[in-house]
Formats: sequence, C-alpha cells, structure tokens
Amino acid sequence: MSPRRFVPALLVLVLVVVLAACQVDSTFQDVSSPSAQLRPVKLLLSYKPDVQFAAFYVAQQEGYFADAGLEVTIEHRDGPDVIRLVADGQAEFGVADATDVMISRTSGIPIRYVSTVYARFPVALIGAPEMVPAEPAELAGLRIGTPGRYGSSWAALLAILDAGGLTADDVTIREYPAFNQVEGLLNGDVDLITGFRVNEPLQLAAQGFEATMLTVDEVAPLPGPGVVVGDDLLGSDRAMVAAFAHAVEQAQAAIAGDIDLGLQDAVNEVPTIAEDRDTARAVLTATAELWKDASGAVSAAIDADVWASGYQTMVRLGLIDGSVPVTDMYEDVGG
Amino acid sequence: MSGRTLLRLGGGLLSLAAFLVAWKLLVLLTDTPEYILPAPEVVIDRGVRAIGSGVLWEHVGATVLEIVLGFGLGAATAIAVGVALGKSVVIERVLSPYLVAAQAVPILALAPLLDIWFGGGLFARVLVCALIVFFPIAIATMVGIRSADPLLREMLLSLGATPGQVTTRLEIPSALPVIFGGLRVGVTLSVIGAVVAEWVSASTGLGVLINIADQGLFDTPLMFVALAALAIIGLAFYSLVVMVERRLVHPA
Repeated sequence: MSPRRFVPALLVLVLVVVLAACQVDSTFQDVSSPSAQLRPVKLLLSYKPDVQFAAFYVAQQEGYFADAGLEVTIEHRDGPDVIRLVADGQAEFGVADATDVMISRTSGIPIRYVSTVYARFPVALIGAPEMVPAEPAELAGLRIGTPGRYGSSWAALLAILDAGGLTADDVTIREYPAFNQVEGLLNGDVDLITGFRVNEPLQLAAQGFEATMLTVDEVAPLPGPGVVVGDDLLGSDRAMVAAFAHAVEQAQAAIAGDIDLGLQDAVNEVPTIAEDRDTARAVLTATAELWKDASGAVSAAIDADVWASGYQTMVRLGLIDGSVPVTDMYEDVGG
Repeated sequence: MSGRTLLRLGGGLLSLAAFLVAWKLLVLLTDTPEYILPAPEVVIDRGVRAIGSGVLWEHVGATVLEIVLGFGLGAATAIAVGVALGKSVVIERVLSPYLVAAQAVPILALAPLLDIWFGGGLFARVLVCALIVFFPIAIATMVGIRSADPLLREMLLSLGATPGQVTTRLEIPSALPVIFGGLRVGVTLSVIGAVVAEWVSASTGLGVLINIADQGLFDTPLMFVALAALAIIGLAFYSLVVMVERRLVHPA
C-alpha cells in the first residue's frame, strides 16, 4: 500500500475506532446511569429471611428504595450484631428492638432509633386460654418459658410482671436459649411462654394447641422495633436516613393495603415461603396489624410518649440505669 | 522450683505478653471501638469487676461441674466401648457405623433434642458434654488396644492367661499413650460441649454469661472475660490430663 493511500485509510480506521469507542461508552452510560445515581447501602435484619420482612422486600422490588436514591443490599445477622455493626458504620441501616437500643445506647454504643417499624410491641405472653390471666398480678406462681434473661422477650416479661406488682422471683422461669419454648409449652414443662405475637400462636395452632395472649401493649407499653442508624451517618446524611425511613413506611402502607403484594415479593425473595402460602399470608396479615398505630394507620413516626413511659419502665426494671436521657436514644427523621 | 520449670514458666509468660501486646497494637492501629474489639486492659478491668461481684464464679462453677461430669461419663463409657471395639471385630462392624454417624451429626443440632427428651436439666447438659467427648476417646482406645504386641499376647495366652488378664495386663497398659491422646482431645471438646449445652438450656454457666453479655447487656468486654475463662478452664483440664498421663504412662 502506498503512503498516499495508507494515510487516509489509517485516518478512517482511527475515526471508526474512536466512533465505536464513543458508541460503546455512550451505550454503557445509558445502561449504567440509573444505577450509578443510586447510593449502595447495606441493611441488616435479625433472624432469617422471612415473610415478616416483606416490607423491605417490597421496598426493594417495587422501587421505593430506588426512588429514595438507594440501592439496598439486605443481610441477616444476630440482633446484637445488627446494632454493633450499624453503630460501627459497617452497615448503614438496621432494624432492632427499641429495648435493645436503650440498653446498647446506655452502654455507650453510638446507635440511634430513627423511625418506627412496629407501632405495637411484638412480644406477648402466650398459653392456653385457661392459663393466660386477665390481670398480670395473677401470673404469680406460674411457670414461664423464655429464651433467656436478655433481649426484648425478657424485657417484655419483666414489664408485664411489673405491671402486676410482681418480679421474676414470683414466677418460675425456665430458659430456652435455642428459642424452643413452644416445645416446652406443648410438653407441659411450662404454663406460658414469651413469643412473637405473629409466630408462636400459629405454630401452636398447627400443633392443635389453642393459644391466647397477654400482650405488653395492654399493660405496660414499650416501643417496638424500628430502623436504627449510627450517630455518624445520622450526623452526616440525615436526608438519606429520612429517605430510607420513608421508603420503608411506603412499603409497609402498600402491604397493609394489599397483603398479596407483600406475599408475592416475599416469595420472590424467599421461594420456600410459597410452600405454605396460607400460613405466610396469615403471618404477614398479623404482622401488618402490628405496624399500625392507635389510629389504625401505618406510620414511621416515633411515639415520644411510648418511648418516655417505656424508658421509665426499663429504668424501674433495672435494665438500664437512666444515665442516658431517653431523648438521646432516638431521633424522629420524619419529623 | 527447678531451672527447667522456671524456663517453661518464663516462656509461657513471654508468649502471653507478646499476645497481649499484639492485641493492643491491633486495637490501636485499627482504631476499633470497644464494642467491637475491646483492648486487653479493658477486658482485664471488666474481669476484675466480674470476679469482685461474684458474677463470674457462679457461671464458672456451673460450667466446670458440667465439664467434670460430662467428661467423666463420656470418657468412662468411651474407654469401655473402645476396649470392646478393639477386641472384637464383630462389635466394631456392628457399632462403627452408628458411632461415625453420631459423630457426623452436629452436636448443636442434637442438643435441643436431648434437652426435650431429658427435661432440660443438668443431666441433659452432661449428656451433651459426654457425647462430644465420646468419639475421639473410643476410637483412640480401640486403636490402642489393637496396637498391643501380638507376640506378647500369644506369650501370655500360652502361659495360661485368661482373655481378661490379657486385657488388663497387656492391652490396656500398652494402649495408655494412645488413650491419653484421645483424652487430651476429649477434655478440650468437653468445654465446647458444656457451652453448647448451656446455649440450648441453662440458667447459669459461661455459655449463658456469653449470651447475657452479648444479647442482654451489649457488654463486649464481659463476653471476652467469659471467653478467657473458658480458655483458662480448657487449659487447666488439659494440663490435668497431661499430668495424670505423665504419672501413669511415664512414671519417673
């Protein structure tokens, strides 16, 4: 090839390559630009993937998190690890018991409750109708099974006993650290158990055991689980925290209005849920009821009165020493 | 105190000091908060307070009791079964699949069942402990029994010794070094067994203290105190087994 023909050919080749590169670049940008605008964050949930967490699956699958500018990765950890890792900044968000937030905050962990997920406390005393008393004072002398002398179940049990003028010494406590207190109740080893209002009664019903409940809300209200973040994140990006809380609230409201939406997204996330769709639907329906406040609406707002009375109860029970004011334990990002 | 003992003690202390310095450096260099990784002096301070208040002793006492009873029961049964396995190929063929299968099932999965079957008291926890120590000791005993010199066995039999005398005079004594190998493994496993059992059903014990510190108090230094106590208990029991081994196997 002569130089006269080679140079134009080379220029054409360079032009083609440059145009192709521009095309590839613009194509790549077209595809990636929506997600490039989303901020990747991590959400830690306790327990294991389950229909109870449908609000987070809906927020993810129906685009509420994306609308908030977030690309959320969900992971499950032990409850205490959720608080420690979120406080340490290893994850941006977590869902934790308000009672655990009070204890961990008091012990110096920089964690803060920013929005309500459960407007009603999800733990209750559960047992056969003839064993569940109308008044907490009638619990004296009964045998009660609970996972251990720690966590939200223990706080709930002490709060109920306290409402009846009793302490743990007035009942016989049997501990089930492996959370197998249902078997203890079925075996007759205990008269009552602490349990999650939406789970244990259904487990017992599946075994032909008719159960009723004495809830904490009836006698000594405690704030329920909610979204938690570390102090650093709250200080540096309050708007993002508020957007996250709003997305969760939107998803909860969507499920409350259409249980099947939540069920389907939960099945998409955890396919095994489809194996017993009826039970899952019942659990989700009951769970959605616990999200609703006294007015019957789903709201992420923090009830300062419940926090104040719950805090006083926790101090009275000796679970916290009162050295950290209750107002330092939460911050309502919706307000 | 002999020079050799002093040297061993000095080496141990030096190793401990190096470990503490490395731990402190890790905390300092990574700037890790106390609720994730407390510094050694924070753990020591928390340990002193837990000992002073009596909290630690209550839990240590419960765990040590489970270890002693569980290890005792497990080791005694394992040695008896191991002798039978070693002496009879038929027994070995019949029992081995069950022993291996039992060992393959995680004790964490088995413990809740034992808790339900045996009412969740001390006996259930001792049983968990005994089960976890059983396999290594039984297998070590079987191997030890079979390693006895066949010529000596023939000689004893030709001199008119009964099978029982062959076992007690030849096979068990010659198997002792191997049996103690199994006991060394078993005694450390018994600590794990006690904690697993306490995680399933207990009101006291170091496993319970770990749960209380972790889930009830968010007290990470106290968790480390409980872990350190478990390590010390494990070392103490291991040393005890080594001491007995020295007296029985290598008497001065």
